[in-house]
Amino acid sequence: MKYKVLWAITLNTFRETLRDKLLYSLVGFAVLVIAASLLAGSVSLGQDARVIQDFSLTAMLVFLLIITYFIGTQLVFKEVERKTIYLVLSKPVSRETFYLGKFFGLCLTILVAGLIMAAMFLIVLYAKTHSVPVAAYFAVGAIILEAWLLTAVSLLFSSFTSPLSSAIYTFGVTLIGHGSATVWLLSQKASPVMRGILEGVYYLFPNLEKFNLRNDVVFNLSPDGTQVGLILLYFVGYTAFLLILGVAVFRKDEF
Amino acid sequence: MSSKKTPSFFTLSGAEGSQPMTYQRFTLLAVFVFLGLSFVAQINYDSWRRYTPPKLIGIDYNVYIEPQPLSPSLAKAVSFGSTEFLADYYWLTLIQYYGGGTPNGKYRKLAELFNVVTDLSPRFVQAYQTGLIILPGEGFPDEAIALGEKGKKSLPDSWEMPYYTGLVYHIYKKDFVSAAKEFQIAATKKDAPPITQYFAGIYYKEADQRQLAYQIFKTVHETTKDDFVRERSGKQLLHLEMTFFLEDAVAKYRQQFGRYPASPQDLVTKKIIKEVPVSPLGVGFAIDTQTGAVSEAKR
Repeated sequence: MKYKVLWAITLNTFRETLRDKLLYSLVGFAVLVIAASLLAGSVSLGQDARVIQDFSLTAMLVFLLIITYFIGTQLVFKEVERKTIYLVLSKPVSRETFYLGKFFGLCLTILVAGLIMAAMFLIVLYAKTHSVPVAAYFAVGAIILEAWLLTAVSLLFSSFTSPLSSAIYTFGVTLIGHGSATVWLLSQKASPVMRGILEGVYYLFPNLEKFNLRNDVVFNLSPDGTQVGLILLYFVGYTAFLLILGVAVFRKDEF
Repeated sequence: MSSKKTPSFFTLSGAEGSQPMTYQRFTLLAVFVFLGLSFVAQINYDSWRRYTPPKLIGIDYNVYIEPQPLSPSLAKAVSFGSTEFLADYYWLTLIQYYGGGTPNGKYRKLAELFNVVTDLSPRFVQAYQTGLIILPGEGFPDEAIALGEKGKKSLPDSWEMPYYTGLVYHIYKKDFVSAAKEFQIAATKKDAPPITQYFAGIYYKEADQRQLAYQIFKTVHETTKDDFVRERSGKQLLHLEMTFFLEDAVAKYRQQFGRYPASPQDLVTKKIIKEVPVSPLGVGFAIDTQTGAVSEAKR
């Protein structure tokens, strides 16, 4: 794999997503919602900091995931539909490079969008409370990691289905991933066969609750080294698994 | 002249100089008219919903204006991890609900809302505090005590939880022993105000647990760094010592005369004691002629 080619595709994907009007409206709306958390905070009986943190971090996650769903699922599909993929693949560009370039490009977009939203969040929080808990930075980082992982999921789905269905599937994976605690609870109460199936679901689907550090921000509870290490390990492991699987499917695709 | 032939617009009055009603203008007008109509309808609907008595038989009117929180376990399941966010949502709902007033009597959903907020966010100190303060007054003393118990479990280091629970026991249940126990728990926590243990003593005294109250006041008096609390507990100690002194005298009186004295003055006239002690709390003493119990005289 040539890293120069990979970087070129990454950068091009980034530029392509920046031209998408959807991205601007989503980032704009997220910033608006974060600013609006000031209003919600003002009617919360002195719980401004709490409301701003919870509302803003949830808004960040939701809007980054919408970007993932609707831009991530379109990337490969658009290239195939416009037949521009032939132009690229006829050059000395392997399919792996193409696929990974798309992934890293969208990750870059999500990073930039996430940083814009985070900046707004931190400004609002600092303006209101004159302090920013360290835990907030960890929570923001974890949200971006989660969006990156789901980007790999959406790319995997979009390599074999239409954009709409892969957006729906990715959304489903998100719900299962955040409901993992419930899945585990159900599995412990179920019959042996059902228990096996549910435990399989628990380990197979991404456990997105690992990336949920949002609930601790209000109490300024920063994760310790082990937790951060395990989160990163999980992210790298699961994302690599998804990318390898995605590349394998993409190699077999016929356009 | 050619304009007369084209039917693409019409005039409302037909008068000379009046603006022709083009399709665009009509659309614009229609947009505002219908927007205004929906606005009027919305305002009227809201006031109907809030202030008109129910007409439907068998349907509870309050259902329309009351928040309908999910059960805590369901709320946790559908929050998909954003439990603090959902807790905030219910917190804001609760404030709107309580602040909006209830035209039909009781805030029936209040306890349920506090429960769901604190289940979603078990460390939300202000939610417990607010609940413990407003719930009993709205007719939910038992729910308030349950909330306090939950708060004590979730926030074991907080002195506020047992403190406020103790107040509920005192004010709404008149259960002074339970109140005293809560205040004793509160006094063991870090950052508890110095007066907390003093209150525990007061409650034991109210519940006629005088020996216990005496011990607590003694500890408070010897250990507190707060001048006000030391002074008050010293006075309470003196008052209790006087009470014990009078009780002994009453017992002697009964041994001698076979009955209880009618008043502390009786003890002086019968030469059991030299004089009636004057309580530093500024209250007199009374003696029950049936049981011989010494109590504070009603002012």
